[in-house]
Amino acid sequence: MNLFLTFQIALRSLSRNKIRSGLTVLGIIIGIAAVIAVMAVGQGATVMIQSQISSLGENLLMVYPGSASTGGLHFGAGTNATLTASDGDAILKESHYVRALTPITRTGGQLVYKEKNWFSGIQGVAPDYPKIRNWKLEKGSFFADSDVKSANRICVIGATVAENLFEDENPVGKIIRIKNMPFRVIGVLEQKGSAAWGQDQDDVVVVPWTTVRRVLQNSAFNDVNQLLLNIDSTSQLESAKKEITEILRQRHHLAPVADNDFTINDMTELSKTVTETARLMTLLLAVIASISLLVGGIGIMNIMLVSVTERTREIGLRMAVGARGQDILLQFVVEAIVLSGIGGILGILIGSGTAELVARVYGWPVLVSAQSILLAFIFSTAVGVFFGFYPAWRASRLNPIEALRYE
Amino acid sequence: MVIHLNQITKIYYSGEIAVPALKNISLVVEPGEFIAVMGSSGSGKTTLMNIIGCLDKPTSGQYFLEEKNVTNLNRNELAHIRNKKIGFIFQNFNLLPLATALENVELPLYYAATRSPDGRGDGNDLPHQSGVSSGRQKRQRANELLNRLGLGHRLNHRPTQLSGGEQQRVAIARALVNQPPLVLADEPTGNLDSKTSHEIMTLFKQLNQDGITIILITHEKDIADYAKRLIYLKDGQVVV
Repeated sequence: MNLFLTFQIALRSLSRNKIRSGLTVLGIIIGIAAVIAVMAVGQGATVMIQSQISSLGENLLMVYPGSASTGGLHFGAGTNATLTASDGDAILKESHYVRALTPITRTGGQLVYKEKNWFSGIQGVAPDYPKIRNWKLEKGSFFADSDVKSANRICVIGATVAENLFEDENPVGKIIRIKNMPFRVIGVLEQKGSAAWGQDQDDVVVVPWTTVRRVLQNSAFNDVNQLLLNIDSTSQLESAKKEITEILRQRHHLAPVADNDFTINDMTELSKTVTETARLMTLLLAVIASISLLVGGIGIMNIMLVSVTERTREIGLRMAVGARGQDILLQFVVEAIVLSGIGGILGILIGSGTAELVARVYGWPVLVSAQSILLAFIFSTAVGVFFGFYPAWRASRLNPIEALRYE
Repeated sequence: MVIHLNQITKIYYSGEIAVPALKNISLVVEPGEFIAVMGSSGSGKTTLMNIIGCLDKPTSGQYFLEEKNVTNLNRNELAHIRNKKIGFIFQNFNLLPLATALENVELPLYYAATRSPDGRGDGNDLPHQSGVSSGRQKRQRANELLNRLGLGHRLNHRPTQLSGGEQQRVAIARALVNQPPLVLADEPTGNLDSKTSHEIMTLFKQLNQDGITIILITHEKDIADYAKRLIYLKDGQVVV
């Protein structure tokens, strides 16, 4: 008996009892739809978190000056002014892995434009900063090396600052006052949203790092708060850290026994933790959802057992006219697969629809991946095979004489 | 000879108690015979038919069907023998309720299509390989048979839409569709009125004249009279 025909026969026997078949399929539909919807929401959340983390910039390394220590008492990272912009230049020049680098100097201050004012963090950086942070300009332009050299009073503002100081006005070319000194706005950064930990990344004013030191902090020194750099790929992370450590130790004339007077951090820990958490949540929900699939599968087994009993005479007759055990087995397994397969397809449609609805109504990010659809379909078919096998096996082991006599 | 039973014994066990259903039965059936098996209930006639029909195995003795020893074949091999060599007709017709007359008649052909000729039925051979080679040919053969039995106008009717006599004729067509040398009928007229019974028996007679060996079980003397030979069973033994 060929497979196409077997499917035809299966469809016909299932359509004999439409309500019963429908209810059995419903069990699978609910199970698959729940799994699909939960996976969609979970994967959507994961993707959102990952994009938030990568919005900070890709393959980032952060170098902080080491802690100051007096008589064995440490004051915490960044309290010692050991890291300078020329350390950054040296790393950029000597390291094989570093693609771009910017020193960062930080301060804060009151911003004033006409009658409006706003307090914001001020970051001093080098011209490569937008490239490193993967941050585009919405309007205007970023400053150049020459601006850094001469510590020009120009600035690029974040979206939040632009909104608070300028509202609908175009900020480019306008003069704002930072700590009472006039700065010309030359560009506006694209909106980046909040960071993974909730900080508003757009509430920032970016100026040349030299401007922060010379003009805003009135200092002649070149020490910086941080060096921010990115490397070519995550796989080079460890070797890059090692190399930068070597370069800095050499430049700082540290004795072999001495501790580093700087710290190098990267984003992988954070990214790993957050992604892993999201993945675990998704897995947990998917497990809960698949319990309903299990219940659906038991429903299929139940109905198939009833069906085998009801059709004992038919099985006996088929055996009498030459059906082997395996023909009967195949027939009933295919019936179970048709039930679970139809349930699977409808479940995928309804699950995707539910996910889409959740996205529309609650504004959650959802992602129905081809992978989860394929997985759901394979899984539902497997449920059919698994739960259909036992009833089918019972049918195939029937004694034809007794089956024919069954009332 | 078509059938050669040699010292067939069948014993059923109900718990510890052995109940012999057939005791040392030996029987030879030549091609073209038309045999009626009679006997009171419990005389072993159904057991005998089950063994001849390869639905059951004897406890001891040998069974040769067309010179081939089928006594110790496995389930799959017996299924193949039933499919190719034996046509079954039942008292209650045993038609598939959802299938049309035509589809009911085609049923044995589907199970014939997947077999290798040696009867092992390993399932590896392609469908439509042996005997009937395509769906259309199957349909044609089933169609011809139903026409011959006077059901040409009933091809697409379901069993519930047919009279008892018509249903039994569909069942007879199903039994004949694989062109078996042997037809076994277990009280084929038991559910039919006497007029229809005689029509069916006339049909059997015609089939027998065409060369098909027929063995039928019946209670009724006038039905048994259609047969050429009578076997009377009593307590698991052949009396006549």
